[in-house]
Amino acid sequence: MSAPDLLDDTRLIRFRGLAKKYGKRQIFEHINLDLHPSQSHLLIGKNGSGKSTLLRILAGLLKPDRGRLTLMGQVEERSWHELRSALRARVMYMHQTPYLFDGSVEKNLNYAMNTAIGTCDKKLKLQEALRWSGLESLAGSEAKQLSGGEKQRVALARAWLRQSQVLLLDEPTANLDKASRLKTIELLHSLRGLGVCLIIACHEYQEFLTVSDGILQLKQGQLEKFN
Amino acid sequence: MQQSLINTVYEALALLLSGDGPLWGIIGISFSVSGLAILIAVIPAMAIGFVLAFYDFFGRRILIALFNTLLSVPAVVIGLTFYLLLSRQGPLGDLRLLFTQTAMVIGQVALCFPLLVAMSHTAFQSIERRAWETAITLGRSFFGALYLVVREARFALLAAVLAAFGRIIAEVGASMMLGGNILHHTRNIPTAIALETSKGEFAQGIALGIVLLLLAFVLNGLLHVFQGKGSLS
Repeated sequence: MSAPDLLDDTRLIRFRGLAKKYGKRQIFEHINLDLHPSQSHLLIGKNGSGKSTLLRILAGLLKPDRGRLTLMGQVEERSWHELRSALRARVMYMHQTPYLFDGSVEKNLNYAMNTAIGTCDKKLKLQEALRWSGLESLAGSEAKQLSGGEKQRVALARAWLRQSQVLLLDEPTANLDKASRLKTIELLHSLRGLGVCLIIACHEYQEFLTVSDGILQLKQGQLEKFN
Repeated sequence: MQQSLINTVYEALALLLSGDGPLWGIIGISFSVSGLAILIAVIPAMAIGFVLAFYDFFGRRILIALFNTLLSVPAVVIGLTFYLLLSRQGPLGDLRLLFTQTAMVIGQVALCFPLLVAMSHTAFQSIERRAWETAITLGRSFFGALYLVVREARFALLAAVLAAFGRIIAEVGASMMLGGNILHHTRNIPTAIALETSKGEFAQGIALGIVLLLLAFVLNGLLHVFQGKGSLS
């Protein structure tokens, strides 16, 4: 990469040649992907096409068979394994059904906060996150007893607090009612406005079109891009 | 016969309540040896249980099967194995550990280790992989994530510790073979019961039996509470 290229380069992470197979079945190969701030992509594909697998690799949770990446400000490509910790520090992954830990909503949000922040700042941030996600009235409620939509909002509030550069979502509106789906999309808009790069794996992609810049389709092990 | 049994139970209770030195000494040895064995075994065993639950690697299934098999090894076989290792002619004979509390601790660690591994593996498995992945993706360090996962499984893990303690404090085979049942030194509750009964001194045997029964009652009560809390949460 030449010097001017580097100056113009706004990408957060560049993935090159990602490949994964389970047993003898090749899930995908030669996957190239650049992630930029405030960009949002929908990731579509049939069941079993490898959407969740790809997201988990991008999040640093699952090891690919092959693949290299570069982070913002770096020129040299390095292996996924070398940069796994750096990847985990920059990327957050949200399961289809978010996992909430034992304890209150407040406690769950606390887990997403940087431990270096002082107690006073933590309290302020926490209040802000509760307000942002519309969870003020549920702050003291037992997180595991919330409805699906409320759990999703807690997970998004954690993402807001976590301030990761990239947020990967695995079917975030599956099994939610219409009101919860709309609220989820509203919060995703807000995160994108804050500069977070979003990749949303979904089946019903129409409802996410307002929050997306393009579509990534996983088909027969290849990633096709559409604007 | 019935009158004599009632008298013996009264005698046993009197021994317990009068604070009989040798009797409470035996109880003290039992608790200190088994408590130390649990303390030594708990962290490595739970670490193995964690790795077996959350990591895929070659030989994982074999290890799980091995620990499950070790669960059913009788205490006397463990006792015999370590007796052969620690006896004068054995490979570890120079350490002169046979008939010491250390040898009893070693035997009890070997006894409770597979149980702790198997039960903590089940405990970690029950809280789903999502918990571990969520903790990691929230940006926590390995130990920060580990803290969250252990906290999620705390009731089941505590149940594992109680079950393991219950198993080793009541076992007689390994303690008898490795400790030698020496008064004030390696005589614990189960070996003392075996000895007193063989001598026809039932009062002390029954007194110690009452302690074990009470302990079993308390441990089972706690297990019930913790398992209930675990399933509720």
